[in-house]
Amino acid sequence: MNVLIVNNMAPFVWGGAEELAVHLKRNLELADVSAEILRIPFQWEPTAGITAQMLLCRRLELTNVDRVIALKFPAYLIRHHEKVIWCLHQFRQAYDMFDPAAPDPAMVANDAELLRAIATADAEAFGEAKAIFTNSPVTADRLRRFNSIDGQVLYPPVNDPERFGGGEAEGYIFAGGRVNSMKRQHLLLEALAFTPPSVRLVIAGPPEGASTADDLAARAEELGVADRVTLDLRLLDRDELAEWVNGASACAYLPRDEDSLGYVAMEAATAGKALITTADAGGVLGLVDPGVTGWVTEPSPEALAEAMAASAADPRATRRRGLAARERWNAFDITWPRTVERLLA
Amino acid sequence: MVPFVHGGARNIVDWLATKLTEHGHQVETVLLPHIDHPDVLFDQMAAFRWVDLSAADRLICFRPPAHHVPHDNKVLWFIHHIRRFYDLWGASYFPDSDTTQLTGLRDALVAADNAALGEARHVFTNSRIVSDRLATYNGVDSEVLYPPLFDPSAYQPVERNDEIVAVCRLEHHKRQHLLVEAMAHTTTPVTLRLCGTGNSGYVEQLRDTIACTALADRVILDDRWIDDDEKVNVVNRCLAAAYVPENEDSYGYPSLEAAHAAKAVLTTTDSGGVPELITDGENGFIAEPTPEALADAMDQLYLDRVRTERMGEANRERVGELQIDWDHVIERILA
Repeated sequence: MNVLIVNNMAPFVWGGAEELAVHLKRNLELADVSAEILRIPFQWEPTAGITAQMLLCRRLELTNVDRVIALKFPAYLIRHHEKVIWCLHQFRQAYDMFDPAAPDPAMVANDAELLRAIATADAEAFGEAKAIFTNSPVTADRLRRFNSIDGQVLYPPVNDPERFGGGEAEGYIFAGGRVNSMKRQHLLLEALAFTPPSVRLVIAGPPEGASTADDLAARAEELGVADRVTLDLRLLDRDELAEWVNGASACAYLPRDEDSLGYVAMEAATAGKALITTADAGGVLGLVDPGVTGWVTEPSPEALAEAMAASAADPRATRRRGLAARERWNAFDITWPRTVERLLA
Repeated sequence: MVPFVHGGARNIVDWLATKLTEHGHQVETVLLPHIDHPDVLFDQMAAFRWVDLSAADRLICFRPPAHHVPHDNKVLWFIHHIRRFYDLWGASYFPDSDTTQLTGLRDALVAADNAALGEARHVFTNSRIVSDRLATYNGVDSEVLYPPLFDPSAYQPVERNDEIVAVCRLEHHKRQHLLVEAMAHTTTPVTLRLCGTGNSGYVEQLRDTIACTALADRVILDDRWIDDDEKVNVVNRCLAAAYVPENEDSYGYPSLEAAHAAKAVLTTTDSGGVPELITDGENGFIAEPTPEALADAMDQLYLDRVRTERMGEANRERVGELQIDWDHVIERILA
């Protein structure tokens, strides 16, 4: 069986969706299916080019392919009689990110006609799909709301769970993932200032925005916590990242209203680490049961500090919550073999 | 490309990408599917025309219709046309070419190709033959840029045993059967080794011929995938290599592998591109495509070993003369 994974590409840009496609290919091959990735170029600016690129996807001819697994708009417009869509996201600028009251200037020139073309193409693409999955309840909800289409939620698994085996807690709280204002690493620094001096924090991940790294370092100095925080602000390789996670006492992740469970939380739970998050973190809350698998606090420095201090004060209790987090995660049964099975059903 | 079909055309892209990366450039490879069915010829051409790769500083296009992708700074390494509308027009396996509809499509395709070729800042080809076709059909001048092996360093003349080897796919148009038939006419103890995977019907036919002509002790048919190490080992130890395809576009990787290992190449007058590399009597033999003529050449390779070795060495020098190396490719393609 030849399975073609169809994804978008923008030259010289690599991110989560690209990584997911690579791991999907690897896991299809582990299931004795031959798999290849087709990356169709897509530039959404200028918006005047979007219609042509939708047609481009529509006009490509596929032979020698038994099944297509398509991930994104407009790649999922490709024609195939055995097409499964695993929708990571639609063209959000045309839906939930489109606000008629405050239109994006880039969209104005294209008026309602482009929006209608996108909705029509989506209806056609999803209508001809053999099965429709989404990567999260939020994506499924958007699909229902805007396109009246039902999709089944199929969470992307941790790409390399074998790396996150857990390990001895070495006495720090770890905060991984992309570093930006939406992920609120600065809030953790502010909280750290309210914790006893024994609490240590590690923030590691690629900073987004020119001054993000410098700002965080300056903030740590200002708050007087520079000696208790390690800032490892760069794109870590997977082994380095796993080492930080496996040695943590607990993992903190505070995105603002995340769509999905989030890789950071999923990896922490895989490693058996207790989770610290905030009540407004969105999908992440699916893994964090306060008092059982971790701590859920208000998004304030004081409230967070309490949770951080508690996680450091009683390592055995924190360890128990970590194991419970792993159990909670395992109960989701989000594994590559299971995912591949559903995509090929 | 066609999904799940791998071969020379993908290798040249992957290898160039790797070499460009090694030279410090940032490289992305875009492979888009294409079928050469007349009904969807222009639909697909339009699709390629809508591809936006303006984020790249330079675009290097290979197989059609990739050259239709618009870009201000595009070079082509053109390795073939959509052949049924060009050099295979009217060929026996496309019997209905001469209809009004197909002729009209062909004329429109040539016009569109001419326009796309004209957009390129430079056109390279992989062989003289392809360059000649571009001149004939499209009136376009081009520069031949021979595709090197990815890593030729493993090829060395380790020894010169009694084997003539042919390592390539076992297919009718590669004509391994001619070599087997030739073996029946040889008068020396020269041996033949055929390695490669291929068409099972053709392999059976080869096996039958070997059995019928009682050649089992002098012809080895190794019909399986052999990895690079094994291939290097076979080529490095052979007496000479044989590559006798029917009318190919280029000299073929087997000829180049033999050249790097300082081995003479046996080919035929109708092989197409092989004579771009091989000159008869200088760095190999170009025989008539008959069993008798090939047998005579095989015997000569076996008997006059000094000359065979000298031709092998000359073949290695020929690679340098033609500048078949990555530094040259990269210098030219980024010029």
